Order: sequence, then C-alpha cells, then structure tokens
Amino acid sequence: MGTFNFFLYSFLINALIATLLTSLTTSAVGVFVVQKKMSTMGAAVAHSSLAGAILALLLKINPLLGAFILSILFSFLISYIGKKEEGRMDVMLGLVFGLSTALAVLFLSLTSTYSVSAWQYIIGDVLSVTIDEINILLTLTFTTLLLITLLFKGFKFIVFDEETAEAMGLRTDLLRYTLTMIVAIVTVISLKVVGSILTIILLVAPAASAYEFSHSFEKAVILAELFALTSGLTGLIASIYLNVSASAITGIIAVFTYFLSYIFSTKRRKCKCIVKQIRVIKEKTL
Amino acid sequence: MNIVKVENVYVAYGPFIALEDVTWSIKKPLFLSVIGPNGAGKTTLLRVLLGLIKPFVGKVEVLGLDPSKKALKLRRRIGYVPQRERIDPAALVLVKDVVLMGRLPKKKPIAFFTKEDVEKAREALKLVDMDNFWDKPFSHLSGGQQQRVLIARAIASQPEILLLDEPLAGVDIASEGRILQALKNLVSEGVTVVIVTHNLNPSLKLSDEVILLNRKVVAAGPPQKVLNEETLTKTFMREMKILRLEKEKVIVEG
Ligand SMILES: Nc1ncnc2c1ncn2[C@@H]1O[C@H](COP(=O)(O)OP(=O)(O)O)[C@@H](O)[C@H]1O
Ligand SMILES: [Mg+2]
Repeated sequence: MGTFNFFLYSFLINALIATLLTSLTTSAVGVFVVQKKMSTMGAAVAHSSLAGAILALLLKINPLLGAFILSILFSFLISYIGKKEEGRMDVMLGLVFGLSTALAVLFLSLTSTYSVSAWQYIIGDVLSVTIDEINILLTLTFTTLLLITLLFKGFKFIVFDEETAEAMGLRTDLLRYTLTMIVAIVTVISLKVVGSILTIILLVAPAASAYEFSHSFEKAVILAELFALTSGLTGLIASIYLNVSASAITGIIAVFTYFLSYIFSTKRRKCKCIVKQIRVIKEKTL
Repeated sequence: MNIVKVENVYVAYGPFIALEDVTWSIKKPLFLSVIGPNGAGKTTLLRVLLGLIKPFVGKVEVLGLDPSKKALKLRRRIGYVPQRERIDPAALVLVKDVVLMGRLPKKKPIAFFTKEDVEKAREALKLVDMDNFWDKPFSHLSGGQQQRVLIARAIASQPEILLLDEPLAGVDIASEGRILQALKNLVSEGVTVVIVTHNLNPSLKLSDEVILLNRKVVAAGPPQKVLNEETLTKTFMREMKILRLEKEKVIVEG
C-alpha cells in the first residue's frame, strides 16, 4: 500500500512539474509569437515535433530527441523562407504546415504496433511523463528561459520593428533564428503535456489574454504566465478528479480565459470611456 | 573623405529598374532633402546606403566604407527612421522601450542597459519635446507623437548620419515644426541628416541641399539653384508652380 501511494505520488509530481514547465515556457514565448504574428508558424513547428517524435518511435530512439531535431530543422526552414519570401509567408507556412503534418501521418501509418504511444504525442498525456522526461524538460526549460531573458531586448526590437533593427546594425537574422528555435524547443516541451494539436492554444491564448491588460512586453509575459499556469493546473486537477483529458480542459480554459479577457479588457474599457467623454462634450456643446 | 559617395548606381527589383545612373555625394555634414513622387526610388536609395540592397552597377561608399561589405559596422553608425505606416501602432511597448532600442546596436546583445543608455535616451526624447511621455504606452500617442519617438530612437543611437523616410507624413503642423527644428540642431552638431519626402514644402527652408529624384537624379544642389518649375515638373511628371508668399517660395501643383 505504501509503495503504491509513493508510486501514485511520484507520477503526480511529474505531471505537476511538467505542467508548470510547459505553462511557463509556452506563455513567455507566446507573447513574442503573437506580437510577431507567428502563430501559424508555431502550429507548423508543433506538428514537425510530432513527426519527429513518431519517427523516433519508429527508429527506437528517444521521441523527445526526434521531436527536437525535426522541429529545429523545420523552424530554421521557416526562418529561411521568411527572409526570402516575406510577401508570400502565408502560403509558404501553409505548405510547411502541410508538409510537417503529412510526415507525421506517414510515420504514424508505419508504426501500427506503436500507435498507442504515438497517440500521446498528438493529444498529450501528462500523467505518463517519466522522471527521465522531466530531466529533459528541465534542461529545455532552463535553456529557453535563459535565452529569452538574455535576448529579451533584441527580441522586443525585432518584433516591434525588424526593418529598423536591421537598418541600425542588429544581427536580426541571428535573433530571428534564435526566436524560432525557441519556439521549436517549446513545442518539444509541451509535446507530451498537451500534445501537438493543442500546443498552439498554449502559445496563443495566454499571450492574447495578457495583451488585453498590458502595455509592455514585460507585463504581458508575467500575465501570460499567470494565465497559462491557471489553465494548466486546472486541466491537471480536472483530469485527476474527473478522469478527463488534461490537455483538453487546459485548452478550453485557456480559450475561455481569452474571451473573459476580451470582455474585461482594460484597453477596450478605456475606449468606451473616451467614447462616453466625447458624447458628454458633444452634448454640452450642442 | 566624402560622407556619402554614390557613383553611377543602378538598382533593380527583378526586371524593374528602380534607380538609374544615380550619382551624388555629401562632403560635409548638412541637411539634405531627397524629393520625388511615390515610387521614385527614395526608400530604395536609403536602403542602398544601408547596404540592405546591393546595386547591380555602380559604386557606393558611406563614411568611407562599402555598405555591402561592412554592413553591420556601418549601420551601427547610422540612425534610421522608417516609414511609420510599417509599424504596428498598438504594439506592446512603452515610449522608453522604443527610445532605448536605439541604444542596442552599439551594445553586446545580452548586455543590460546602463545609466548612460538611459540618460542618452532621455536626452533624445527631450530633443523632440517628448520627455514627459517616457513611461507612457507608445500606443496611446498620436501619429505625430509616435513619429517623434521614432526619431528620438534614431537620435539616441548617436549616429553620424541620420536617414529619415517620410518623417513628416501624417504629422500635424506643430509636430512638423518641432521635428524639423530638432533635426536642424543635429546638423549644427555635425550630424548629416538625409530626409526623404514627397512633399518638399516643409523641409524646404531648412535644407542645405536637395536632390530631385525620379528613378534618375533630375537635379541636385542648393534649393534656390535647383528648384524651378522646369525641374519640379520633370520630377513629379505634372505641371508644378512656384508661388511667392512674402519672401518664401511655396510649391503647388499647377
Ligand atoms: N521589394 C520590392 N520588390 C519589387 N519592387 C519593389 C520593391 N520595393 C520597391 N519596389 C518598386 O521600386 C520602386 C521604388 O520604390 P521605393 O524606393 O519604395 O519608392 P519611394 O520610396 O520613392 O516611394 C517602386 O516602383 C516600387 O514598386
Ligand atoms: Mg518610400
């Protein structure tokens, strides 16, 4: 009985840590992704992570390693195309998205015996995260947060105004490649926690919610982290008590939070205030 | 040494020739206006100076450097103000964030901002009369105020050359005056200011030299020598008239 409890306890701890790490990283990167209008790119990279993980299952190597390699390759490909074909980015991303998904489906069709383990990378299975995987996630999270902290000012510049950043001598290529590489790493972190399909929600929803209440990147990142932690933990708790998918609940809560943020947005309320003031002024002058 | 030297430069986008046989130079710090209609190649000319586009024929030298070879080194000595419509007016930045960006090019990418950086940024903001807005969201400012912040960012980088792309577009008269005065003061401190515009009236008084550009250089030199109805009509490809109000020249469409 004692060992059983310890066993139960340890995989809950793993799930909790994995949820925390995923929420912290996706939401921080998400602020840059949303502001730079790269969310389609995030989805495309998430699916290349999936393709990498399933390919790794086929080759009997660590799925997270496979996800890491393929997602980094795809993120570099997208950065490269983004520079060359700026005007046609929309179409190019559609193609890259399609390619990564097609590869994932192809590898999946080759893994009949492993399809159960492949499935967890598609829809997430936070309760099956192992201690070895936690160690990998910790390393990746540390790398991600360190890079974001060190390069925060540069990222802010290229997200706000890449043209001037380049014109004034910043290494914009290096910054953009690093940012997309971070997106790739983050999709690996969240692969087993929320799965490749739902990663995009954690990248976009907390950042979009935070936007409604902030005027600076710094504040947006902090708020996005809070929103992401809330939805991540709610999902985890719901999955334990109600026996439903943690990733699904997390995604639903994250989007619901966005709708609430939209309604209670301090930015939009201010607009209403101004409209009211204008009306008052008009009435007075009439 | 010339500050800028452009010789027989041709630039093409695919089969389309945007600049044809452009030759001009800047020998000492001055206020220069590049004037021409939309599509004349004004932005292209700035991009050539920054080494963002390489001409397929011709020679370019800026501050003694070849922009296509020493791009980063050169760009860090140049301030750039983009056309404002390319910037998201609702971006998540404060005014101080924007101005401090001007300090980044000369720093290591991971270095923190020092006291000096903050001082220079504040000084630059003061020059465009926006120092009360340091902590304000960029998105709360009017178009003219945003433009002044973008100029302050370029000034904060302590450039030797300042390139401004249509800095007066969509700017009210009060901001216009402040911007031009701030730029003129920079010139007296030894900065070369190049401003690109399709409306020459506002900057006319302050310009030491003008270039009339429409794919080719139609005319270049001091404004009183270069600006006449013939050159202007040739540049804008429609009849232009010069009116005299008191002692000032005003240029209008004919
Ligand atoms: N990236 C580009 N690709 C193709 N054509 C371009 C590109 N940039 C500019 N052009 C063309 O080159 C000409 C000059 O452009 P530009 O230098 O932006 O003019 P201006 O700034 O004077 O309005 C225009 O006809 C424009 O359509
Ligand atoms: Mg232009």
